[in-house]
Amino acid sequence: MSLGRLRVRHPAIKILRHRRLAQRRGAAPTPLTALGSKPARRRAKSGAAGASVLLVWPRLGSLARKLPEDPSMVDPYEVLGVGRAATQEEIRKAYRQLAKKNHPDLHPDDKGAEARFKEIAAAYDILGDEQKRARFDSGEIDASGAERQPPEREFYRQHAEAGPGFKYERRWQGGGPDSEDDLFAQMFGQRGARVRARGSDVGYTMSVGFMEAVNGAKKRVTMADGKTLDITIPAGLHDGQTLRLRGQGHPGFGGGEPGDALVEVHVEPHPIFRRDGNNIRSVLPVTPGEALAGARVRVATVSGPVQLAVPKGSNTGQILRLRGKGVPSAHGSGDHLVELQVVLPEHPDEELVRSVSEWEAKHPYDPRNRQGAQA
Amino acid sequence: MTGHMIGESELIESVGHLEVAVLRRWIDLGWVLPHQDGESLRFDASDVARVRLICELHYELRIEEDSMSVVLSLMDQLYEVRCRLRALLSAVGAQPEDVRTRIAALVKAEG
Repeated sequence: MSLGRLRVRHPAIKILRHRRLAQRRGAAPTPLTALGSKPARRRAKSGAAGASVLLVWPRLGSLARKLPEDPSMVDPYEVLGVGRAATQEEIRKAYRQLAKKNHPDLHPDDKGAEARFKEIAAAYDILGDEQKRARFDSGEIDASGAERQPPEREFYRQHAEAGPGFKYERRWQGGGPDSEDDLFAQMFGQRGARVRARGSDVGYTMSVGFMEAVNGAKKRVTMADGKTLDITIPAGLHDGQTLRLRGQGHPGFGGGEPGDALVEVHVEPHPIFRRDGNNIRSVLPVTPGEALAGARVRVATVSGPVQLAVPKGSNTGQILRLRGKGVPSAHGSGDHLVELQVVLPEHPDEELVRSVSEWEAKHPYDPRNRQGAQA
Repeated sequence: MTGHMIGESELIESVGHLEVAVLRRWIDLGWVLPHQDGESLRFDASDVARVRLICELHYELRIEEDSMSVVLSLMDQLYEVRCRLRALLSAVGAQPEDVRTRIAALVKAEG
């Protein structure tokens, strides 16, 4: 079993990929640039969270004020917006005003509310208490209250959005559970009908070796969510074929079924073999002597080496068929078509040159004329 | 809601400045919904946070009993809508990009 890695196909790069595919069908296959699994995962996430980017809902009023990093440096008077001479009653009033505006539980959409509220509460903690205020004024304690740090607290809003079934949900709805006014009921036809939706499919691409595609294989791959999965590559798989992995896509919603993973498989090229449907093609180099006198030579096929009889008087371009030695398929295997190529020695010596030249002088022939290659 | 639950006295102690009688009044009004465990009341984390919030609304922001019912009602509705909106957004987010784009365009046109 070999290790592979699935690449998430992002819709945005689909067009580019199709162009590449088109190129590939015409020309020699180019391997896609390898991507690590981390960017792939990030892409998957950004895809899933796309809706929050697309749909922008109006924010509740927010006070855009930069918060100082060190709470002990904040001036509580400034926080509450009162003067140093303010009366206790004025301070209380200012505090209530600000607390109403900034209480995080009353402004669940306002991300900064919690920090501002804590700051306001801390300021009031000092100025609201006459004794503490006096100690702050005299410099005895700093603005963080010195001896009393505000304890970490959980705000109500952290619980209130726990999800459907939260016990304080809908307690106050006057219309009751079948209210016609329910916005969401309007949208989905009936109140209480939980939305069920099948998860969307996730597109992946992966590469497999030429021999794996021909003979079939099992690949262990890492999905976008980090899950590993064993994929069966069926024997005879062709380049660009898409495998559907049921239930391996995005999770469903409201109990809906998960989507599928659609894996587009690209077959890597092979140094010797070439696919032609279910046939395999290869070029077999032979010596002039083997071509002239005939020979038995060893030929590699996708199902292992075989002995091939090169007939006497064979020539370059001649095709020999090895029946059933091609790509296995349900309707019988394809063939292996061997194209002969007569190859001269790399460094022909004097003897060869002289004897062939002498022979040609006695038996002239024109290979160009014979093949009609010359006009 | 699962998780750690505390009793009435622990709640009073952790919130501070809260009288048992006042807490029980809030429970009678339905502002707080503790779990009944035989004779005793058990409060989960959301109850504790809610009690703290009501304390602040009442003692610091001076929201009185009658208005408190309105405030809590609005707040509960707000949170419920947010919950369902989030569910809706996640359903939209699970859609293919072209569907999301169409929905976004419609939302823009409406708003």
